[in-house]
Amino acid sequence: MSENQKKILEMLADKKISVDEAYRLLSALKAEPGAPESTGGPEVKARPKAKYLRVCVVPGEGHQHDEDAELVNIRVPMSLIRSGMKLTSLLPGEAREKVTSALHEKGINLDMRNMKPEDLDELIEALGELEVNVVNGKETVRVFVE
Amino acid sequence: MRRPPVVMRVHIRGKEKGFGLWLPLFLLIPLGFALVIAFSPLILVAIIVLRRRQQLSRMPGIARACLRTLRSPRGIRAVFDIFCSMPGLRVDVREKNERVYVSII
Repeated sequence: MSENQKKILEMLADKKISVDEAYRLLSALKAEPGAPESTGGPEVKARPKAKYLRVCVVPGEGHQHDEDAELVNIRVPMSLIRSGMKLTSLLPGEAREKVTSALHEKGINLDMRNMKPEDLDELIEALGELEVNVVNGKETVRVFVE
Repeated sequence: MRRPPVVMRVHIRGKEKGFGLWLPLFLLIPLGFALVIAFSPLILVAIIVLRRRQQLSRMPGIARACLRTLRSPRGIRAVFDIFCSMPGLRVDVREKNERVYVSII
């Protein structure tokens, strides 16, 4: 029994972690036998935090050498999106209503008055899984988070 | 703590001519602060006069939003937050021989 396995079992005995967590940690240890030994508490490897929203437009297959091909490469820091969304709370009431009704017309039922900072964090966290790929003959559009 | 941007790089290339710029934002920030402090009495007077004449509501929405942002500490903080979140922003659009490149470092 390795040192890490002992520690996990000790933490389980001390009720510092649940049975499920102990099982997950032990499975993770088994899956990575060559991994460096951890000395800390229960660490579940998290997905790396999204830093940038990327929008790329590149020529599609067979159009790489087109002279009129358009190339777009945009990188927006997630922190900028977060700060920008916080700025919406400063919008005047009537402007907010206009935005809400415009969104409603497009079929999006989002009321900006009801948005809370924790909702924003959740939304931005969810953006981390976003990946959109649009391929037409001439160009490929990619929207993703890195 | 997030740091404000240091340099903005702008590169614009047209069909015939182009230019590139390295804007030292770290030098522009103190200048901006000085301008805001210098003009703040004027902004304050403008807000008071417009409010007394009840013309604030007649102003375009964007101007009203700017004034509203400038007169509240929360608004100033939000704008500063946005400014400090800008490092890493990069926009690069190319078509034929034309190019617009903006990068904030």
